[in-house]
Formats: sequence, C-alpha cells, structure tokens
Amino acid sequence: MAKRLSQKLAAVVLFVLAIALVCTGIFGLNGRSGVTGQQIIDEMGLRSLLVATGEGVVESYVDIAKQEATAQVRAAGGSMAEIREAVQKAEEEARATYSNTTLDYDSVDTTQLSGAVEQLREALNAYYAEEAAAREAYADMMLAQMELEAASGTAEDALVDEGPVSAEEDISDAEMELETEPTVDMSGFVATDEMNRLMEQAEAAYVGVSEALAALYEGMDAQAFDALQDTVMALVSQSGDTFETMFDRFQASGGGEALTDDLWNARVIRYGDDLITVGIAVLLTALLVLFYQFLVTKLGLPRLIIGLFFLLLCVLGTVYDLSLPTLLSNSVVRMGMNSILVLAMVPGIQCGISLNLGLPLGIVGGLLGGLLCIELGYSGWGGFLFAIAVGILIAMVVGYLYGLLLNRLKGSEMAVTTYVGYSIVSLMCIAWMLLPFKSTVLRWPLGPGLRATLRLDSSYKHILNNLWSFEIGGFTVATGLLLFMALCCLLMWLFLRSKTGVAMSAAGNNPRFAEATGINVDKMRIIGTVLSTILGAVGIIVYSQSYGFMQLYTAPRQMGFIAASAILIGGASTSRCRISHVIIGTFLFQGVLTLGMPVANVLVPQSTISETLRILISNGIILYALTKSGGVSRA
Amino acid sequence: MGAEYVLEMKNITKRYGENTVLEDVSLSVRPGEIHALLGENGAGKSTLMNVLFGMPVIHTTGGFEGSVSIDGEKVNIASPNEAMLKGIGMVHQEFMLLPGFTITENIKLNREISRPNLVSRVLGKNLETLDMPAMARDARKALDKVGMSIEEYTLVKGLPVGYMQFVEIAREIDKTGIKLLVFDEPTAVLTESEAQQLIQVMKQIAQSGIAIIFITHRLEEVMAASNAITILRDGKLAATRNTQETTMVEMAELMIGRKGQGMVSAPPRTQPLPDKLVLEIDHLAVDMPGEEVKDVSFGVREGEIFGIGGLAGQGKVGIPNGIMGLYPAQGQVRFMGQPFALNNAGAALRSGMAMVSEDRRGVGLLLDQSIEDNIVFSAMQIYGQFLYKIGPFTNKNGRACRKVTDEMIQELDIRCTSASQPAGTLSGGNQQKVCIARALVLNPKFLFVAEPTRGIDIGAKKLVLETLVRLNREKGMTVVMVSSELQELCSICDRVAIVSEGAVVDVLAPDSSEADFGLAMSGIKPGDMKGGADNG
Repeated sequence: MAKRLSQKLAAVVLFVLAIALVCTGIFGLNGRSGVTGQQIIDEMGLRSLLVATGEGVVESYVDIAKQEATAQVRAAGGSMAEIREAVQKAEEEARATYSNTTLDYDSVDTTQLSGAVEQLREALNAYYAEEAAAREAYADMMLAQMELEAASGTAEDALVDEGPVSAEEDISDAEMELETEPTVDMSGFVATDEMNRLMEQAEAAYVGVSEALAALYEGMDAQAFDALQDTVMALVSQSGDTFETMFDRFQASGGGEALTDDLWNARVIRYGDDLITVGIAVLLTALLVLFYQFLVTKLGLPRLIIGLFFLLLCVLGTVYDLSLPTLLSNSVVRMGMNSILVLAMVPGIQCGISLNLGLPLGIVGGLLGGLLCIELGYSGWGGFLFAIAVGILIAMVVGYLYGLLLNRLKGSEMAVTTYVGYSIVSLMCIAWMLLPFKSTVLRWPLGPGLRATLRLDSSYKHILNNLWSFEIGGFTVATGLLLFMALCCLLMWLFLRSKTGVAMSAAGNNPRFAEATGINVDKMRIIGTVLSTILGAVGIIVYSQSYGFMQLYTAPRQMGFIAASAILIGGASTSRCRISHVIIGTFLFQGVLTLGMPVANVLVPQSTISETLRILISNGIILYALTKSGGVSRA
Repeated sequence: MGAEYVLEMKNITKRYGENTVLEDVSLSVRPGEIHALLGENGAGKSTLMNVLFGMPVIHTTGGFEGSVSIDGEKVNIASPNEAMLKGIGMVHQEFMLLPGFTITENIKLNREISRPNLVSRVLGKNLETLDMPAMARDARKALDKVGMSIEEYTLVKGLPVGYMQFVEIAREIDKTGIKLLVFDEPTAVLTESEAQQLIQVMKQIAQSGIAIIFITHRLEEVMAASNAITILRDGKLAATRNTQETTMVEMAELMIGRKGQGMVSAPPRTQPLPDKLVLEIDHLAVDMPGEEVKDVSFGVREGEIFGIGGLAGQGKVGIPNGIMGLYPAQGQVRFMGQPFALNNAGAALRSGMAMVSEDRRGVGLLLDQSIEDNIVFSAMQIYGQFLYKIGPFTNKNGRACRKVTDEMIQELDIRCTSASQPAGTLSGGNQQKVCIARALVLNPKFLFVAEPTRGIDIGAKKLVLETLVRLNREKGMTVVMVSSELQELCSICDRVAIVSEGAVVDVLAPDSSEADFGLAMSGIKPGDMKGGADNG
C-alpha cells in the first residue's frame, strides 16, 4: 500500500508539473503574437540597433581621435615612428574613454528612435515586398522563355534523332525532370522604377533614424551615419523574422543582460513550444508512474521500455526542432520495408524451429530473383512480380532442403539456423563472383563478378512506395507498401487459422500433443520452414524496392538477427508469436533506429559519431531483444 | 554402539502447504538389521527418506516436525552432505554414476585418495596427485564385499544394468563409518538372479553391522530379506512388524487398506452387461520408457467401465499409450470386431477411440494456447469440424469453436475467465477437464482415461469421476480407466485389471478384498496364495 501511495504522490507531483509546463508554454506561445511579445520584439530590435550603432559610434570616435593625433604630430613635424606611436596611444585612450561611456540603455529615452525605426521598417517592408514581386515576375518571364526554347529544341532533336527511343528512357527522363526544379538565371534582373522610388523613401526614413541617433550620441558626424546605414537597415528589416531567430540572435549578440527585466518573459515566449512538448512528456511520465503495473502486465516490460525510448526520441526530436512528421513517415516506410522479413519469423516460430536465423537463405533466393529480373531487362510491375515469383521458387526448393536438415537436428535449431544463415552468405559471396550474369548494370565495369550494390532505378525502385502514396502535413503515406504489408499479414493470419496452420502451430507448441492426434510433426516443420524462407525471399524484394538498391555479398548476414529482434521486441517468445507482434515490433525497432540517428547527431554534433551510434543502437536493440527471448509472460 | 537403534525417527510430520504428506510417522532401525519400508505410490516413503537425508526440498518448504536420532543422539541433518558425514548412505533407484569413468573412479568420486606434489604445495589441496593404486585397492575391497569379480578399472559405460547397481552399492559401503544404507527399490531394474544376488549382498552387509533400509514393493523380497517391516499408508504409519510374525497377505492388506468409502459411486447397473467384447487385446507389448508393457492380453466388454490398476512403473499406463499410437507397440488388437492398426495415432482417433493422457502438461495440452484451441483441436484435425471450407482452403470457424467450448465449459464446470484463457494458466483440475472436453468433442465410442485424478484437488476429482460415470451410463460410452488410486477404480469400475511388471496379474471384481489387490500389485495372483493366506 505504501508503494501505491508513493506512486500516486509522485504521479500527482509530475501531473502538476506537467500542467504548469504546458500552461507556461501555451502562455508563451500566446504572448508571441500578443502585445507583450510585440513589445519585447520591438525592444529587442531597438536594443540590437543601439548596441550595433553604439559600436559604430565608438569606432567613429576612435577614428576621429586617430586623425586628430596624426594631424597634431604631423603639425609638430614628427617622424613616421612618432606618428604611429601617437596614433596607437590616441586609439587606446579613445577606446578607454568611450567604451565606458556607452549608453545606459534603460535610462535612454527611445520614443523618438522607436518612432523613426517604425517608419523605416514600414518603408523597408514596402520595398522588400515590391522587390520580391518584381523578382517573381522576372523569374516567370524567364521560365516561359526557356520553355519556348526547349520546345523548339526537342522538336529539332526528334527530327534529327530517328533511332528508336526506348520507353524506359522516356520514363526515367520524365522522372528526372520532375525531380529537378528548373533553375532560372537571375543575373539579368534589374531594379524597377518602383523599387528605386521605394528605396529612396526608405533612405529618407533613415534620415529620421539617424537624427534620433544623433540626439543620443553626441558628436556623431554625417559620415558615421552613412557608414552605419547598411547595418541599421539590415537590423531593422530582420524584424520580420520569427521570435525564435530574433531572440537567439539577440542572445548571441550579448544583449541578454540588457534585457534583464523582461528576460524571463522573453525566454518563456522563446521556448513556449518546447515547454509544451516537455510538459506532454512529463504528463506521459505521470501516467506511466500511475499505471506502471497495469502497463507492465499489459505490454510487458521490454515493449514498455522500447516504447518509452521511442517516445523520448520523439520528444527530443521536437525539442531540437527536427521535422517530426518526416521522421515518423520515414519510420513507417522502414516498418513497411522490413515487415515482410519480420513476418518470415512467424511460421518459423509457430512450427517449432524457433527464430529462423537462417533467413539469409530466403533472402538469397529473393536476390537471385531480383538479379534475373534486371538481367532479363524486366521493369515496373512485371519485373517486380517476376522477381517475386523467381524468389519464391528458389526459396521453396532451398526451404524444403533446409527443413529436412532442421528435422534431423531437432533441439539445436538456434545454432543450426544461425550457422546456415552465415554459411549461405559466405557461399553466395563466391557465387556472386562466379555467376554468369551479362548485364552491365549488374557487373563491375572491370573484372568479373557482380557489383556489391545494385541500383534498381531501371527495374522496380519504389514501385510499392510510390503506389497511391500521398502526403498529409509533411507525413508521406506510402500506401502501396503498407497495403502490401497488410496483405501479407492477412494471408499469414488466414493461414494460421487454417486446418494446416492450426496443426502446424500445435506441432511447434507441443510436438507430442500433435503426434497424439496423428499429425506428422516433421511435415509441419517443413511447411513452416518453407513458408519462412519464401517470406524471406519476398521480404528482401520488398525491402530493396523501397531502399532503391539491392545489396549483395555480406549485406544479408545481419538481416536474420534484425528481423528476429524486431519480433522479440514486439512481444513474441521463441516459441509463440502473433501477427500483432510483427507490426508492433517492426515499428518500434525501425522507429527507434530512424529517430535515434538524427537525434543522436544533434545531441553529439560530430558527424563521425553517427555511424558508430547507428551500429551501437541497432546491435544494442538486438542484444536487448535476445535477452527478452522468453517473451511476454502469459497473463 | 551403545544405543539400541542406529536410527530412530520419531513422530515425523511433514506438510507441503495445506497438504499433509506425512503424519506422525516413526521408524526405528537396529544395527545390522534389514528393515523393509513398504507402501503404495504416494504413501510417503520418499518424503520420509528426504527428511532423513535433509534434502533441500524439505527445508525450503518449512521443514518438518518430529525428531531424528542416530545412535541415540538427536541430530539435525541439514543437507545430504551432512547425512553422508553422519554415516548414512543411499543407493539410488536411478544410478548416479559417471559412464565415462572407471569403476574405481566412480567408487572414489569426491573421496579420492591423493598425494601432495610440488604444485599442490603451492596452490592447495585441489591439485594433489591421485593415488590410483591405493584407490584401486579400496575399490577392490568394496567390490569383493558385494561379490563382484569384475575388474575395478573397467569403464562404467557398457556395464550391464545389474552391475551398475552393485557399483553403486560398492561406492556406498566404501565410505568409512557408514552405519546405515538406504536401498531405494534396488531390485526394480534387476533380473531375478541379480535380485537374488543383491539380497545376498544385502545380508552380508547387514552382518558386518551396517543397518539397511530396504524400500520395495515386492513382497517376496521383503519376506526373504528383511528382519523388520514398517508399512506406510497415505502418509501415516500403518504398522510395524517383525518379518517372522507376519504374512504376505497381512502386509498386502496393510499396504492397501480401505481408505473409507469412495467419494463417488457408480449407480448399480439395471441390466447385466453384454458379453460382446468391444476391445480385444492379444499379447500387446509397448515400448514406453518407464512404463514398459511386456505381454498383456485382456478384453473389454461393450458399455463397461474397465479399470487398470497397479503400481507406478509397472506398465499400466503403457497400455492406452500403446494402443493410441503414442509409443511403439506390437501385438494383435481388435476393436469392434475389426483388426486394429497399431502405431497410428490418427487412425486410432478416426476409428472412434479417444484418450485423456496421463501426461497432461506434456501430451494432453497446448499450454500456451487457449482453452478453445485445445478443445476443438482434435475434432478439427481428425474430422475437419469447426472449419469454413472454401475450395482447398480452410479457416477456423471461430463462432462454432466458441459455441462448443462454451458448452463444454458449462458441462464440465471448467473454471476460467473465458474460452480464450491459455490452458497453461488453469489449475490442474481444470486442465484435466479441458483434456476430457477435447476427447468428448470427438464424440468417441470408446474412451481411455489415464490417471485422470493425478495432481488435482478433491472437488475436481469428484467431478471428473462423476463425468466418466455419466458418460458411461447416459451415452453408453465404454471407458477404460487407468489409475494408481485403487479406491477410485473400485468405486466406479465394473472390473479392475491389476498390472505388474508389464503383464496383467489378474482381473478382479471391484469388491475383492484388500489382500487380493495388494498381492496382485506385488505380482502374485491372489488365487495362488489362497492356501498360504489361510494358513497365516
């Protein structure tokens, strides 16, 4: 009971904290567009201006002092060395005098200045709006001209080139054009009359500002103000930036102390969105603390931990201003492309050969299918389906032999599957060098053998990913890929509910039970092994179409482990799993991997660390998953 | 050796939680005496020995009440090692020998004679050199004592079973200061001549002053070897006798006893059973490890409840397992007048038989799967029921499965949260009901039930037995029940066959005397003993 009580207390404290954070955050965000925010922005703008001009003023004082010193020495007829000495002395003195006498920002009356700045800003905004419009108009004009030229050009080409143009090339060309934005040469752009007129107005407004500044700084000459014009204009025009950038710039310029009164207020406004994110995270933590036992029994500790890690990465991603929709959409795509490989674990586990770490066997079959497809020059859907069909055929044959092997080595499946996986990868390393493929896409340009990484642009790259895909707020939904995944999962689910599927699960779960009902356990194990191998073959084709490349040689070696880890994280054990384990596990595993890298890169901003971290994270998850191979306890 | 008894265990009570397995049991053994400890399976013999040896299973479950004295001195034995130091040795039923070691090495295991050498002087006693000749001499002496002429440097691997038993004994008597040896069913795996030799050796050992506790269920051996007998029944002391003062019949009676009235009784039959045999078994042999069936012949009448009893390990469980194709079997079996194919589990089920296995968790259930999946499994696989069929494709008919499962849950009163609860999370009794339900969904004409009440609570036992009776009386299902609990068999069966050493000793009426059952269990056909019993 005491534990429950402390748990509740902690939850309440966290809950209050979360609400406080979220409220402050919302208050901050509101303030950004509200009066306070505007005031702070204005003040920050003015102060930046004053700091910048202040520095300019000091410089001009120093210049004046220097000139005076030179004139004096020269008048006295001193040598060059004397002049240099005197100038140095005068500079030091001037700096010492004036840097201490910079303005006391709080006591200065800035009403005149702010009014002048406001006028200048309006003038500048008008100017920039005009400039943007003018530039756009110019770009449109140029583009139209280019298209006209291009059209006449291709027409000429078509007349000249009578040779057959393959459909493939046309398609790829069209894709290329879609992908590359046409660039317009802006060098011919000249300022319009309207722009010049507005610029004059802005310059007129600057006179007002310089007058206001002159009132603040004594002894400033017109020359100094001319020198400051660009700086001031740039500073004023930047006022249109977001609160965040303004605040960060202001902080970086060392103006933070200058804003002592409103500093906290400004900070709250600046970090409002982050406060809300952290608030939500704390809220989740509060819920976790409150429902800890329930969640552990419902989800199992491993899934809970990985799930929380995933959420933590999401929060960190938001706090560090990474694009969360893009990251999540990448996670979903990665889930889709890996899901079939993970699904391949299901029949293995159900039929009693445990985790099929010999998955590379099926993967190799799929790779061969893909190679044949490229070699024979098939592309698009035909190529994709051809690759799958060939992959399935090869996988069926090797899967059957693999099943026979596993039936003779009952009881040590884990070791056997791992060994088979590693040996087939090594064996195929030789095969990739020797197989008589002819296509230049496949072969190294020099010497024998196939390339290590094959581009699929000419065959079936992204064929599922791009099917019916659409975008919602930066989140790309790869409909085709997800539908294919759903289809495979559905088929597997249906199979597991068929008479054979039920018998297979029973044979895996309790062979003696199955035997007692007259079921041929060995046959069931072979069915499961063959299915698993086939899914490995289909899985790698789906994986590679999404990845855009096929990787040969040692690349498939780890894939069995990755798939096994994903399903274990999903909550499966080495003897029992469900389709839901596949989906949850793949999403968590790939999600953590996809989000982990960018977040790690922000946290440790050395680019060399990212590869190390990638390996650490992925292998770490695998290791963690294998320690949880007992699965979720039945409850 | 001043004390009268080398071992005195007084008023030993042991509980496992609520379950009292030993109650107020006393055992006294004189020096040089062969003391037989008798009892059915589960009478408490093993527990008593566990107490004596200070096994961890005793201490981790709350210890025991009562006292143990050795040589008249009260002792507290906390571990098997301590028991060894106190001079108590055990000859195990399953041999605890290292096959790759020689006989000498096995005998002297962990008590090796060693000589110090250069390394051991520096690094400690564990690295001393073995003194093989001295060890061989000791081993020879011990082997001679048990009358074994075999060379002491032979590897244990490949020795005949009987020899291994003697090596084990030699190891025990080689221990210095041994006062008491426990033989746990030493003759179970021996041939008759080996058994006789063993009894000779035991007598020799006893003459040298070492007391022996002899655990067995072979009454003849008890008569031949022992001086005194302690009989346990249901965790209680049934009697202590001197061997000269008792007879086999009395011992059999004491061992079996009537455990009060049965909790379930079958209603008497309104009309006599037909003589038509539904199952005829002729010279059946089943190779089931631990429950080997050597040569069994009997017939089961249609509509009968036929009991098969006997002690554990004698082969009674092997009979249904052999017929149902779970273990390789040989012999002629006719079912409903047709020749019946052995070694084919699917065919056995299709012919209308079903079985509730004695190994509930091992064979009877898919522990990780739901009650529903367990119950419908056999019917789905054998008859293709509970399936949607679309061309060559089939799919589980969830609604039909759920319906039949809910019916079974109702009918057999399976206590569960829902039909989708995993079978492994149910209590033993409810698991047993799930097993029965699976057999019933097959609608069998003939049902084998092996050890249906093992490891389940009283309420569930009652329900299970009542269900069997109801099935028999209402649906006319022929039931063959195999059980170690004689009382259960007698309460509901029409006839009871007693199996001993892989063969049917006799088929008895359920109201036969305890003595008859006791003798049959020891492998003695009661009819043969009638004369002896009258004399006693």
